[in-house]
Amino acid sequence: MSRWVLGEFHSPEQLLEAARALRAQGFHRLDAHTPFPVEDVDGVLGLPPSRLPLVALLAGVGGAVGAYVVQWFTQAVDWPLNVGGRPLHSGPAFIPITFESAVLSSASAIFMGVMVACGLPRVTHPFLRMEAFRSASIDGFWLVVAVEAPQRGFEAEAALRELGAAVVLSVEDRP
Amino acid sequence: MSEPLPLAPVLADPLVVHPLLEERRTDAQLGEALLRPVLTKPGLGYWALVGLCAALTALLCVAITVTLVTGVGAWGNNIPVAWAFGIINFVWWIGIGHAGTLISAILLLFGMKWRSSVNRMAEAMTLFALVCAALFPLLHLGRPWKFYYLFPYPSSLRMWPQFRSPLTWDVVAVTTYLTVSVLFWYLGMLPDLATARDTAKQGWRRRVWGLLSLGWRGSARHWRHWRTGYLLLAGLATPLVVSVHTIVSFDFAVAQLPGWHSTIFPPYFVAGAIFSGLAMVLSLLVPARRALKLHAVVTQAHLDALARLLLVSGLFVAYGYVQEHFFGWYSGDPYEMHAMEILRTGPYAPAFWLVFTCNVLVPQLFWSARLRTNPAVLWAAALLVNVGMWMERFIIIVSPLSEDFLPSSWRHYAPTWVDLSLLSGTLGLFGLGFLLFLRFLPPIPISEVKALQHELAASEAFASDVSTREGGGR
Repeated sequence: MSRWVLGEFHSPEQLLEAARALRAQGFHRLDAHTPFPVEDVDGVLGLPPSRLPLVALLAGVGGAVGAYVVQWFTQAVDWPLNVGGRPLHSGPAFIPITFESAVLSSASAIFMGVMVACGLPRVTHPFLRMEAFRSASIDGFWLVVAVEAPQRGFEAEAALRELGAAVVLSVEDRP
Repeated sequence: MSEPLPLAPVLADPLVVHPLLEERRTDAQLGEALLRPVLTKPGLGYWALVGLCAALTALLCVAITVTLVTGVGAWGNNIPVAWAFGIINFVWWIGIGHAGTLISAILLLFGMKWRSSVNRMAEAMTLFALVCAALFPLLHLGRPWKFYYLFPYPSSLRMWPQFRSPLTWDVVAVTTYLTVSVLFWYLGMLPDLATARDTAKQGWRRRVWGLLSLGWRGSARHWRHWRTGYLLLAGLATPLVVSVHTIVSFDFAVAQLPGWHSTIFPPYFVAGAIFSGLAMVLSLLVPARRALKLHAVVTQAHLDALARLLLVSGLFVAYGYVQEHFFGWYSGDPYEMHAMEILRTGPYAPAFWLVFTCNVLVPQLFWSARLRTNPAVLWAAALLVNVGMWMERFIIIVSPLSEDFLPSSWRHYAPTWVDLSLLSGTLGLFGLGFLLFLRFLPPIPISEVKALQHELAASEAFASDVSTREGGGR
């Protein structure tokens, strides 16, 4: 069973301040839900940078190599067709498709990577069942504390109220 | 529904002629205002336009059916003009798509803030233009149901596509471009679909947008990957957009035909594509801004920026024309000289001088700052450029083909009703797609505009803080 305590703030600055204060009080499993990306939030929450660029690079190189090998195999090995005496393995003519395939495979990997890294698609989530949480995509800046013990949850609620959260909610996810 | 008053007018910065956002609103008001097109019922004019576009789409279906039943013989193509409307429309539509990617990807990489208000509409335009573009080569195959021959799959024929031909490059380039455009558009729209889901009152809207938003919750972890992914896709789309029209131009430049066989073609085609696409963005944006009352977010600053881009890309295109004719003359080759001659004074002269007027003279209007922010002038000029760019592809494709090497094989070209129906039908399909997009998906990137507003407010607060201190001030 997962348990979260959520507090709503009205500006990104308040949210960052509260997040810093909660971390100082020993709450480390924090997340923020905001209508637009807030600068510095990654640093305050201690999130590492995304590793998507590596995924994109690997997929791009894989796509390029795959496309070149397919062209070489089909044109020079499996079905050699002499067109005006041009070399069968004609590298420059293979460049456009190699490039396009690299872009295609890299872009698909980036999209899939974002989906996997964000845990999407997800049709339902305990937060989405709460009417108040709708403001997270409109004008509410929600700070979320994940807690294990109920006692720790009460402490988090008190801390969020102390920090000036307008709304404080407690959510449990029963499987 | 009465509009809530904005919180504050924008501070007048003497260095900024037109602000990017006309007023400040709270985030909730801003989101509601930007979602108004999809949350309120549209007027009669909207349905009239949808009806017109649906009728043209029906005409497209008729023309496609005739083409499939009769074959490409129903078109006006002949020998030697084997490529005509099919390829003209393909090049025109795909070029239109390029401005959408320019605005959404290239301007993102350059950190241009003004793109935020217009990128979603420009990307939607790209998608529908690409769908129209992809239709033409498919129909031009003659046997479109054999389209899968274009892909390298191990078949019992033991044959492979000829990868040394630019026509196979085209297949890969267009499929890649369409896929990447869809992914980029959808990824960018995810946060706004979540906003639409959370703003909607009716259950069915919540459910539909809820499914489309894939469970987006705006978590810091989501945003972290989303921003990286979005930026990477923009970085990939930028060389992609240049490569796609370069490959389209190879379809011509690799051929031996005088008037086609030229190294100026790749940059000339890319410039023309961006030029025609910007014209189409303006043709759609100016009426949409008026109809959806988007003046607060699509301000005169945006019109000004787009008009400047139109002028600059128009100058590139004009340079392309000059080079094309110069090299035709400088080659000293009688066939090359003839190919250019028939444009200036021969049977294609009316078309050529129309192209010259629309694409070279009309954009010169935008040296004037007053005309750059006049929506009526901009719209009229954009429509003329659209016509001019279509006509440019017509003369590029038809005139060298119709009078090539041997005068005994010369023959001129006239379109049939099927050709004209296919062209107007795709215009209808494009319009229908765009109208439905405006009605069902958030047309302005809400989260980006909110972030922009916060950023502007912060920089204004900083500026006023500095100016109140001793020794500060502008």
